[in-house]
Order: sequence, then structure tokens, then C-alpha cells
Amino acid sequence: MGKRLAGIFWSLLFLAVPVLGVATFAIAPAYDHWLPKDVSEHGASIDSLFYFILALTGVVFVVTEVLLFWFMWKYDEAKNQGEATYIQGSHTLEVVWTIIPAATLLFLAIYQMNAWADVKMRRPAMSPTVEVVARQFEWRLRYPGRDATLGTADDLFLVNDLHLPIDEDVLVQLKSMDVLHSFFLPNVRIKQDAVPGMKIPVWFKAREAGSYDIVCAELCGWGHYKMKGRVTFEPRAQFEAWLERKYAEQGTTQPPPEAADVATAQ
Amino acid sequence: MTPPPVTTAATPIVEHGHAVGHASAHAPQGGLSHFLSTYVFSKDHKVIGLQFLFSTLLWFLIGGLLALAVRWQVAWPWSDVPVVGKLFAQEGGQMSPEFYTMLFTMHASVMIFLVIIPILAGAFGNFLIPLMIGADDMAFPTLNMLSYWFMWPAFACFGASFFVEGGAASGGWTSYPTLSTNPASSPASGMGQTLWLLGLTFVGVSSMLGSVNYMTTIILMRAPGMTMFRLPMTIWAMFITAILQAFALPVLTAAGFMQLSDRMLGTGFFSPEGNVVNNAIAGAGGGQPLLWQHLFWFYSHPAVYIMILPAMGMVSDILTVFARKPLFGYRPMVYSIAGIAGLGFIVWGHHMFMSGMNPALGITFMVSTMMIALPSAVKTFNWLGTLWGGKIQFTTSMLFALSFVSMFIIGGLSGIFMAATPVDIFIHDTYFIVAHFHYVLFAGTAMGVWAAIYFWFPKMFGRTMNEFWGKVHFFLTFIFLNGTFFTMHILGAVGFPRRLADAYHYETFHHLQPLNAFMTYCAIGMVATQVIFAANFIYSMFWGPVAGRNPWNANTLEWTAPSPPGHGNFDYQPIVHRGPYEYSVPGVEKDHLMQTDPPNAAAATAAAAAH
Amino acid sequence: MNTPFAMLRFTLLLAVVVTAVGCGKTPPASFRLNMVQATKTAAPESGMEKPWATWARERQGQVATILEAMYGTPDDPVALAETGLDLAKLKLAAGPVRSDIVGRKNGLYREHCVHCHGISGDGMGPTAAFLNPYPRDYRPGKFKFKGTWRDARPGREDLTRVLHEGIPGSSMPSFALLPPAQVDALVEYVRYLSMRGETELALYTYAEQELGVDDTLPTTKEFLVDEILTPIVEKWQGAEDARIPIASVPGNVDFTKPGDDPANRESVARGRALFHGDGGCVKCHGVTALGDGQANDYDDWNKVIVEWSKEVTGGLGSTQDDAGRTAWLHAAADVIEGDALRPRTIPPRNLRLGLYRGGRRPVDLYRRLYTGINGAPMPGVGPSGPGGKGSVADAEIWHIVNYIRSLPYEFDGELGADRPMVAKDRF
Repeated sequence: MGKRLAGIFWSLLFLAVPVLGVATFAIAPAYDHWLPKDVSEHGASIDSLFYFILALTGVVFVVTEVLLFWFMWKYDEAKNQGEATYIQGSHTLEVVWTIIPAATLLFLAIYQMNAWADVKMRRPAMSPTVEVVARQFEWRLRYPGRDATLGTADDLFLVNDLHLPIDEDVLVQLKSMDVLHSFFLPNVRIKQDAVPGMKIPVWFKAREAGSYDIVCAELCGWGHYKMKGRVTFEPRAQFEAWLERKYAEQGTTQPPPEAADVATAQ
Repeated sequence: MTPPPVTTAATPIVEHGHAVGHASAHAPQGGLSHFLSTYVFSKDHKVIGLQFLFSTLLWFLIGGLLALAVRWQVAWPWSDVPVVGKLFAQEGGQMSPEFYTMLFTMHASVMIFLVIIPILAGAFGNFLIPLMIGADDMAFPTLNMLSYWFMWPAFACFGASFFVEGGAASGGWTSYPTLSTNPASSPASGMGQTLWLLGLTFVGVSSMLGSVNYMTTIILMRAPGMTMFRLPMTIWAMFITAILQAFALPVLTAAGFMQLSDRMLGTGFFSPEGNVVNNAIAGAGGGQPLLWQHLFWFYSHPAVYIMILPAMGMVSDILTVFARKPLFGYRPMVYSIAGIAGLGFIVWGHHMFMSGMNPALGITFMVSTMMIALPSAVKTFNWLGTLWGGKIQFTTSMLFALSFVSMFIIGGLSGIFMAATPVDIFIHDTYFIVAHFHYVLFAGTAMGVWAAIYFWFPKMFGRTMNEFWGKVHFFLTFIFLNGTFFTMHILGAVGFPRRLADAYHYETFHHLQPLNAFMTYCAIGMVATQVIFAANFIYSMFWGPVAGRNPWNANTLEWTAPSPPGHGNFDYQPIVHRGPYEYSVPGVEKDHLMQTDPPNAAAATAAAAAH
Repeated sequence: MNTPFAMLRFTLLLAVVVTAVGCGKTPPASFRLNMVQATKTAAPESGMEKPWATWARERQGQVATILEAMYGTPDDPVALAETGLDLAKLKLAAGPVRSDIVGRKNGLYREHCVHCHGISGDGMGPTAAFLNPYPRDYRPGKFKFKGTWRDARPGREDLTRVLHEGIPGSSMPSFALLPPAQVDALVEYVRYLSMRGETELALYTYAEQELGVDDTLPTTKEFLVDEILTPIVEKWQGAEDARIPIASVPGNVDFTKPGDDPANRESVARGRALFHGDGGCVKCHGVTALGDGQANDYDDWNKVIVEWSKEVTGGLGSTQDDAGRTAWLHAAADVIEGDALRPRTIPPRNLRLGLYRGGRRPVDLYRRLYTGINGAPMPGVGPSGPGGKGSVADAEIWHIVNYIRSLPYEFDGELGADRPMVAKDRF
């Protein structure tokens, strides 16, 4: 009797895995512990892929874990006094459970190729909107300036405070000054490592205005955690106005009145 | 086919049949040199296996404590850290950011190179391979002894690196250039990183010596009648792992030398030209940081299979013993292991999807990575099939083996998310990845290791571990590990990045501190629980109840030898007549047949002879 | 003997041993004394009865007590009314990192600054030794990048600007993304640490010059406030009035256009002439402006260590028989070895990189040229004080600024033509 109780206890413990596992994923969004808000154009396809895989793996997870629980419960020695089933395997089952997963996985892989190509392979033909140079431990930004060409004397230099227009393709030219960094915009579903010695294009289109985080996503030294930047998306007109303000500040020959000798964050 | 006649070697191989540890069983000889050659520089595979076991369990403790310090900082950044805070008394006990980068680097390096890899191949491979194939020792006992003693320079290098200027390596266990190659880019990129590379080289040498030994032993020294397809899954797993080691390790060693050369000889394999870090002028250039990533992951991806295949094999064996049933689908299981190993060589790029390599490779590696989930799935289904229709005994060992299956399902399924390249754009370098590998390595392999320890402890020490405390250990570990690691999937879904000393100053992650605090409490509980295991282990070694030869009524060869086996392992040369999973054979009174039981001992020989 | 009970006893014993090894809270953070200055100003005198080490420790104890009374501790700051410091802001910045009852962040200094700048603002936090350049040591009260006369203190707006922009080319990050209230609190705390450091220096100087061997430091309000503190506070409060005048920009200068634009050509040529001539720039910055001129000087913070270190080594070479002196010099050598950063020379700036630590706006460059850089060997070309005369006329400085801003683009320079940072292009 004690042994049977123990068997029940262990089986139920293992049943808790699928139950609590599903519960965790079900409850988390209600507490804002879920995918951050996405303001990009391509983000929807990435998120829907995430959900698709979540559903698929969720089903497999529940089925296999419940089966495990069920077998533990049903085939407890304390419950079965007879002999175990002496069986070496089943050829049919092997074929079935090889072919079906193989087909599913292959389908998954092929299904996603387009989304990847959109984000990483099909670069829009345009000149860079901004150059982002990652450095220990900040994001140095360089806008092309009024002549729309990077590398001329009217370039606009800023740090950490990236502004970009919405509803347009944006091309970021990503470089690193020293070690590996990674340009991660959680709310735009963009991530690209910045490699010293390489100039890597990153493109996306934002659909909604707002201010979001830039996070460094590749260990770059002790200050990796403080490589915080902010990306602000705004309509083209406001973006241009902001650029003008920054030009004025960059070309300042007079300090502004005493208490405000500071470039404002907005 | 009739088995070969029993040889005239009715002469026992083992002289005294006593436990290896009993000095009285040996004729008293010159004290120190005898002591050294028996217990220190022993060439007996069992002693070497135990040496590996004790050393790696100690480093497991160290790695776990490093993890606790990491978890503390993540949960309560810039607060007074216990124990570690004494090093930062000036600042009131808060750790410095570079110290944090060292903590997670060394946690991972210690766990991977000084714990998991040596405990699977070094401890269990060494102990079990000759016993399970019916040999009296390894093919190259001296090489075997060297493979253990080459770990000691590695221990020394890693250990010493904590005390050098700049501290132990802090560029991540992946040690990407130019952070790790340029001494100016991080405090520990000086001596600490050099010692790390040297330590890695020694571990590599040790592993390569071991893998040569295992392959040769398994191919050449099997007992008569032990065909390849009568080998237990443990041996198949160890065999294929050894092949993986042999092919993959040289690449890591070469890459390690290239990085050492960059750092000490001023070459520029991995440094681009004109790389200026922290206002220090760089050395030679013309290299590529991505080259290191390719070389490193070419080894490190097979390495993760090296870190799980032996556990899979051992779990397969343990499940059959405590389900009293043959393994479901023996040959598919063998082919799956081979498939995992083979495919394991063509998936390394999935660690580099965001790295800046040609994005077309993101397509090819996605396909191969998706496919490698297949053999693992087949194995999982076969484990379930093994349990179906069984008579399950819920011993401690079985509970750990069952949890391996349960947890591996989670780890394997979470891998599919990151194999999906577009999704990886978001979850790369977040806690989703951390969750995945902790599930496969800790909730998977470590649980498998504990299953193996509880299972083969009687064979190793002649005594059983306490079942009650074993189950307490299992229960608490199971609860706490899921509390710590399952929630990491949620953190990853938010995009919470890895390796950040303080993530809460970002808007996106600001609200995640309570969840991290919960996880840290679970982690503390998990490490504290291991005290129970340590106590059980140490106590049972000396005062546990004496075990017979076959306390679990298992059928593989090691259970015919004494517990513990003496030199030469077996009383008589074993002759193998049947496969490894002859449990609940119909028509046989006993519920199992040993592999050495002669064929006419079973009425149902037809079924048995099918192997 | 395998009862669970026996196991339980064993486990508990093991657990107790394991936990006892690592328990105990770390004591609260405490300020460090400026040991270099403490030993430097503590030369033993003949006829001392006590051993030097004991006497020195007592002196240091007195200084520490006074400082604690005047300034408090890292967890609990004190601000005398005379300092003009805002205690509420200090309390926000001080103490361990925590959120208070209304969810406001506290412990800002520990969260953002301490690991580089140190708990005492001495520029010797745990990370400092690995940084190039070293983090600022606030204690002498010298700051490089400001808009006041060279020897004056920085104004609050100068410090705020540095926090806001960071210092490009160094490890000082930009804190522009912090709420302004937090930036204000940090600025106040920097002033607090600087005043504290200067008070400490003043006490050592007073002790060295005015006190006899057996005297103790006075602790009266008159002494501490009137004689020690007031001169320090006056300098800080005077910073607001010490801003340099900014000359009007000449007509042939247009900073909104590139250097080779016709609008600027004349000005840039004039600037080049001044750079190579009256400005005296090529001596350090080189005729190439790559910073390859004279490069073996030290900044003031490192110079103190270098010169004191020379004296100590020289002193240790002689006097073997004077026990007090020997003890003193050995102690000084230990401090230099273990409690000070290894000195580094300060290279002149490579002007062709387009990287300006004090800011890239024309007015920032004007200020650097006008007063030079306080604490660094960079001299100013403007007058040294109000009503003085510099080596270059005020308005002409704008031409040098124009020239400097054109340098990174000269000959397809570092910033020109969209070069990759290093190595060849991909894609």
C-alpha cells in the first residue's frame, strides 16, 4: 500500500510538469511577462512564427509528458502483479514516429526561410539613414547630414540617442570600434552583431511612434550591461525638426543660458 | 551458433576477490611507492574512474557556488553579496561589473570542461566500459592514468586564474575575440584568459587520450560473444561519444593555440587591422573575429552532444532495469545516437545566426538543426515505449532517470525555437537560450549523472546509498530546478538578455526583478539540497548497508562481478550469450537473465537468439 | 547503522559546517583616506618619541574623525550649511542601491559610479586599474572639461554636461538617458566628494605646516569652518562667476559648412597658420596634428605619484640609520605600490580622429583652446585671467577651431569617405 502511494505521488509529481508548464506560459502574458510590444513591419511574421512553434511544441510537450505520467501511474510495479510485456520494439511505430517528426521539422524549416530572407537577405536599395558604431560601452551615431552623404564634414554626431522616421525603410550601417557588440532592438525584433572589421547593413521599417530600448546583446566587457541606448521613432517631419535642432547644437558657438548648457535628451 | 567452450581459465582472474580499497588484501610492499601506484597513479580503470568522479563532484560544487553568485547579482544588483562581498568591502559588498562577467564565464567553463565532460566520459566511461563489455581493464592502462592526471594541470590553471591580476577569464566561456584576444579590452584578458586557454588545452589532451582508449577497448576487448549489437546502450553512447571527441577536439585545440598565439606571439588570426580597444594600440591585424566563432563552434557543438549522449545511454539502461522490460527499439536507439553524432557536425552555425556570417548560411544551418531534433525525438518515443507495459520500481535512480526523460523533452523542444532562424533574431542571447541549455545539461545530463551515481554506487563501493534521503534529494532538486529554469523561458520571451550585470534600468526589463528574485531563491534551495546528496554519498561510502553483486537484479555484465570488483574485474572470463535487456523473458521463472546466462537456461531461447 | 536518523544528523552537521564558512554581512562601506597625501605630508621630525607608524596612524585617525563629522559616511552623508550642498540630493545619491517608499531610486552613486570612481571619489574603484585613461579623482578639485577659467572650479552645468555627454574616447559613458533629477543628485554628490577630498588635503597641509609633533588637529568650528572649509567653498561658489567670455564669431567663419567650403577657406588657412605659429600647438600635437610631438608628460593626478615616487626612491637610497624616516619612506613606497594607480604618461590628442573628449561643438573646442585643460599639460592660448592677454586674440581662436574641425576630413581622413572602422568592407 505504501509503495502504491509512493508510486501515485511520483506520478503526480511528473504530471505537475505539463500542468505547471502550460500554466506558466498561459499566465505570463497577463503579468506583462511576454513578448514586448512590436512596432516593426516584419515583427508580425517573427511573432507568428514564435506562436506557431509554441503551439506545435506545446502539443508535443503535453502529449509526451502526459504519456510519461500515464505510464508511471499505470505500470507501477505496486499496481501490476503480473509480468512486464517482453517486447523488443515495433517496426511500424519506429517508421511512423520517424517520418512524421521529420516531415514536420522539414516543413518548419522551409516555412521560415522567407521571413529570414526578408530581414537579413533582401536589402533595400538605399543609402544609410544612420551609421551606428558600437563601442565599449556606448552607441555612437553618425547621421549623413544635409548633404545626405556619410563621411563629410556636415555629419551629425550623437551618442545613444537614436531617432528614426516611421513608415519608411530605414537602413542602419552597423560597425564596431573595438570588440563584438550586438545591436538589439527588442521592440523592432531586430538583432545584429557588430563585428570589428565589418560593415553590416541592418534594415527595418517602424510602424508606430514611440521611444524604445537599444540593448547590447553580445558580451563586450564589464560595461556590457550599461550599453543602453534609446531609439525614438517619429514621423518624418518631427524627425527632420529634431535633426535641425541637433545641427544647431552641434554647431553651437555660444553656450546657452547658464542652467541649460546641456543637450536635451529629446 | 554454439558458444565457445569455457576455457581452462577456470583459474580465477581476481586473486582475492576483495574490494580494491583493502590494503590488507595485498602483500605488504615498499610503502610510499606502492601507495602511489595503487591509489594515486593507479592504472586500474576503476580507481581512475573514481578519481574522476571525486574531482568532478568537487568542481561541481565550485561551479554551483559561482552560479549562486551570478544569480544573486541578477536578482539583487549592486547589493551586498554574501561571502563574495568580503572582496568588495570598500564598496559595502557590492560586486564590480567585471567580477560579474568573470562569474558567469567561470561558472560555464568549470561546469562544461571540469564537470560534465570529465564526469561522463572520465568517471563513468572509465568505470563502466571494461566492466560492461567483459574486459579486465582498458586497452591502454597507462594512457588511462595519464588522461586523469592531465586534468590536474587543468584544475591548477583554472583554479590559479582566480588569483592572478585581473582575475579569471571573463570573456564568456565562448571566449570570442576581440574581447578575449585583446588584453586591453577587459581586466581578465591578461593572465586570466591565458590560463583559461591553457586549462582548456589540458582538458582537451585528457579527453583525447581517453577517447582513444575507449574506442580501442570497445572495438577490441569485448568478451567472447559480446557482439556490437549486444552492447548495452551505455557502451554504445560512450563509444560514439569517444568518436565525437576524437574528431571534434583537435579543432578546439588548434583554435585555442591560435588564440594563445594571437595573445602571446602577436599574430592576428582573429584581430582585424587597426583594432583599438581602451585606447591601447592593437597588434597585428588582417584577421577575422568570425574565424574563431566557426572554429570554436565546430568543436563546441559536438561537445554538447558529448555532454549528453553518455547520459542518454546510461538512462536507457537504468530505465530498462527498473521497468523490468527490454529497451524498446534497440537498433533505432543505436542509429539515433549515431545520427545525433553525425548531424552534430553540420549544425554549428546555429550558434552564429546573428554573428554577421553570410545570411544564406542561416538557411542551410536551419535545415540541419531542425533535422537533428529528429533522432532525439525518436529516442524519447523509445523511452516512453520502454516504460509502456513495464513493472516500474520507483527507486531513486529510476526517479532521476525518469526525470531525465521528462526534462529532456522540455530542453529538446525549446531548441526548436532557436533553430528557427527568424525567431532566433529575437531570442538569441536571451534567457531563452539559457533555459534551453540548462534544461538539457542540468535537468538532463546532471539528472542522468545522479541516476547513474545512485545506480552504480553499489558496484563502485560495495554499499548502497540511502534510498529515503535519495528520494528527498530527488524531490527537492526536481522542484527547485524547475522553479529556477522553467521561468527562464518566460524571461527569454520578454527578450531579457544574457550576461547583464543589471538589466533593470531598461524600460523593457524593468519589471522582471521579482521573477528573478524568485528564481534565485529556487537556485539557492537547489544548491542547498545538494548537501543532502553529499552527506548521503560520503556516509554511504563508509557506513552504508553492504550490497551484494546485483542489488538491482540487472542483467548486464558488471553485475556479475563482485561489488566492488577487484583487479581484473571478473571471477572468471565472462562469455556472453544474450543481449543486454533480458528482463521479464516469457517462460522464465526469474524475472531477468544475465548476459552470461547460458542459452539453455531459458526456455524462450528463440526470442533471445534473435540478437 | 543506517537509520534515516543517523543520516539526518550527518546532513545537519555538514550543512552547519558549510554555512558557517560563508556567513556574515559585509560591514557598511567606508571612505578611504587619501593615503598618498597622508603619508607624503607626514614626514617624521627629529625627537619623536613614538614610532613613526603609530604617530602617523593617530594623525590619520584625527583626520578621519574630523572628516566623518563634517561629511558623514558613504551611507549617511552630512552637509554643513556652509558648504551650500543640497542634502536631499546627496541622500538620493548616497547609500546602497535601493528603492525608497515611493519607488524612487536611491544609491545612485553606487549604482552608476563607484566601480570606476571609487567610494571616496578617488578614481580607484575596482575597475579603474584596467581603464585607459584612468577615471577622474575628484579629491584635488581639478576638472578638465569646463567653461570656467583654468584654475577655477567647474560650474554645475559643466559637470552636468559631462554626465550627459560622457567623455568620448574614454570609459566615461553618457548618462543622457537618466532622469534629470538623478543627474542633478549625482552632480551634487561629485561636488560633495570633491569638497571632502579638498578638505582632507587642507587638513594634511595644515598639519604639515602648522602643527608640531605632539599637537593634535583642532576640532573647533572656527578652525574647521573658517580656516579650512571656507576657502574651499568659496572656490566652488565662485565658479558660477568664473565663466570665460566667449568672443563673437568672425564673419568669415561658418560652422554649418565643411572646412573646404569657400565660406571657410580663409578662416581655416588662418587657423592653420596659428596652429603652426602663435598657438604653439605643434610642439605637442606635432606638425601632422597626429599627437606625435612631445609625449612624455604626465597629467597632474599622475604627476603627483611620479614625483613623490622619485622622492621616496631617492630617500630610501640614503638615510638608513634614521628609523623614523626609514619607516616613513617604506610606508610611502607601500602606498604607492598598493594604494595608487600605476602612473601613465598623457599623450597629446590625435586631432585627426575627430574624437574630442570635452565635446565637439565649436564652443567646446573654443573653451579648451582658451583656458587649456586644467590638470593636463595642455596650455591655453587665451588670457590666464580676466583682463589678461593671451598668445592669440580671442576672436582669432575661432579660426583655430575651424581648422581643427577640418582636420579629420583632410586627405580623406579618418572620418571622411565613409571608411569602415577597420579592415575591408563586406556586403
